[in-house]
Amino acid sequence: MELDANAFGRSARKALLDKTLQEALGRTTGRFVAHRDAAVAAFPEFEATRERASRIKRDVLDHLDTYLARFIGEAEKRGAIVHVARDPAQAREIAARIARDEGVTLAVKSKSMAAEEISFNEALQGAGVTVVESDLGEFIIQLAGEAPSHIIAPAVHKTREEISRLFERHLGEPRTDSIPELVGMARKHLRAKFLSAGMGVSGGNFLAADTGSVVLVTNEGNGRMGTVLPRVHLAVVGIEKIIPRMADLPTFLRLLPRSTSGQTISSYVSILTGTRRPGDPEGPERMHILLLDCGRSAILEGKYREILKCIRCAACLNACPVYQSVGGHAYGWVYSGPIGAVLTPLLVGLPEAAALPDASTLCGACADVCPVKIPLPDFLLELRSDAREQGLKTPGEIAAMKGYAGVMKRAGLLEAIERIAGVLGQFFTKGKGIGGMPYPFSGWTERRDFPAPAARPFRKRWKIKRGVMR
Amino acid sequence: MNERESLFRRLSAACAGHDGAAAGEPLPDGAPTAPEGDRVALFAKTFTAAGGVLFRGPVETALSDLGETLRAEGVTSLFFPEGDAAAREIAEALVPFGPFNLTTGAEVRGGSAEVTAGFSSAEAAIAETGTIVETSAGGKTLLPGLIADVHVSIVPAASVVVRMEEALAAFTAYPPRNISFLSGPSKTADIEQTLTVGAHGPKKAIALLLAQDTLSLLPRLEPRVSR
Ligand code: SF4
Repeated sequence: MELDANAFGRSARKALLDKTLQEALGRTTGRFVAHRDAAVAAFPEFEATRERASRIKRDVLDHLDTYLARFIGEAEKRGAIVHVARDPAQAREIAARIARDEGVTLAVKSKSMAAEEISFNEALQGAGVTVVESDLGEFIIQLAGEAPSHIIAPAVHKTREEISRLFERHLGEPRTDSIPELVGMARKHLRAKFLSAGMGVSGGNFLAADTGSVVLVTNEGNGRMGTVLPRVHLAVVGIEKIIPRMADLPTFLRLLPRSTSGQTISSYVSILTGTRRPGDPEGPERMHILLLDCGRSAILEGKYREILKCIRCAACLNACPVYQSVGGHAYGWVYSGPIGAVLTPLLVGLPEAAALPDASTLCGACADVCPVKIPLPDFLLELRSDAREQGLKTPGEIAAMKGYAGVMKRAGLLEAIERIAGVLGQFFTKGKGIGGMPYPFSGWTERRDFPAPAARPFRKRWKIKRGVMR
Repeated sequence: MNERESLFRRLSAACAGHDGAAAGEPLPDGAPTAPEGDRVALFAKTFTAAGGVLFRGPVETALSDLGETLRAEGVTSLFFPEGDAAAREIAEALVPFGPFNLTTGAEVRGGSAEVTAGFSSAEAAIAETGTIVETSAGGKTLLPGLIADVHVSIVPAASVVVRMEEALAAFTAYPPRNISFLSGPSKTADIEQTLTVGAHGPKKAIALLLAQDTLSLLPRLEPRVSR
């Protein structure tokens, strides 16, 4: 996928003005958060499970060399062919070679962020292969020629009218405003693809090291179709998706669907191990597993290694006030929300995505919900200071921050400014936010509105409340 | 040095200095086995919560209720795996309730205009999550739960376990190509965040829960209890 992360400010502004998107975001994120909270409240073991999952993932990272070697050995023992790619270009080369060697002309793909990372579809198209996205949301987005906007709900910004128009134009289906009918049209169209495709492409939610299994968690069942019906199965997965044993899987299955959508479990979990066995009536004759490093081993070596614990549940997205306001497109790459704001700069390089760690209020909601206890706000803060050290902040921003720190350290000066600002601010802004301030404050307001100063500053209210002042 | 070696060199460097062996977390203690009645009651609750429809009780009423549900879904054809005696038994017993045609998985896979119900015996059911477990072990087909419009799982009460760990334990040593957890119908909320069933898989997931004493009413019916 093309990278445009440093345009965050511009893209966010566009997103804020997009009425359809704003409505959809209001609807989805709120609902996801409510469902997730209810599911967690109804599961008393959540905290203990989360603790356990975090420990398992930390152990995996501490010994990734051992576990990955075990995974590869077990997978190969059961007939899978394992490939490793150092970077996206190499991954594309390998994927194209696999498709060519297997004589594939049509591939059905289920959702995979890892595949997005390497621009998988372009690689296969370059090798003359048609790639059909089979996840309903991704399918719609593919018809519309757009990039996905959410780890979980890619077509969040499309209305049923727009979708019906797309299906009319591309599938020759009659117009309808019935959602079940639209789903039925996609089902019929994609079923034919599943039955004729030479290769099913999947990601992988987990890789079980002790059995060499690839685990897929889906609700629609497309991951299941694509890994049972076509002759070849290709899984594209990041090396950090390892869990030590198949027996550890329930721990993660108790966290992932609850954190994503509030479900106790998703409709389908497929545990896929090697190729079809003699006597099996279906299943792929060939299984390829393409393991991506693509920056992960470098992350593992540094201070942000715990970000590799992520199980891509999207709970931190839905909980994030910035994501709730701007959606996924604004983040300019595969990963959005707090996980994107940390992972993107680490995978593509901080200079390419220095705007993203600023896309946060540091409210801490992401860390509160993360099922594997990744300290996301700490990482965001740390990345900001890395950006400063690498000279990636504008002088305006640095000056504004220095001024801010200077004022905050002097209580008397702060009080005076608050008094004046309160009077002037109310006069000029009539209680609304301040959108543009002159240099050096423009370093702040370029990408944020500054709230209008309160008529009575917080510090004063606090003192009154405590009875210190009247 | 090939790509794999160089990856492992990078990983070993990154992992150096982290103590201890790759021992893994001790597995949680096995849940105390609940009495069958409790397991079944919990499964009934969770399977329904996952969007599934459960039939139980005397086999005659269960069959006639099931027949009615299939008719209401517009089902015209039934199919079952060749070697699955229980699925065959139930499907054949249902024919007069339709009337339904009998067809085969291969025919449905080849593209059939009929609305189909696929029958199969569950290897296990998980009460914690409302899950039906099916695998390809021993050359079993997955088509009934995959390509049918309605999936009917036959679940012997004795095969219901409490936790996912119990269901997986049978397969960790020699995992078959495919272990599937099926919990309710195929779902999507990708259009306007509206929950809709039947995106790719079955639109309706039905479990027919058979107790031992019920089975004696169908003398040829042999439950396949999970290993
Ligand atoms: S960082 Fe945590 S909350 Fe966010 S997607 Fe990853 S696992 Fe989920």
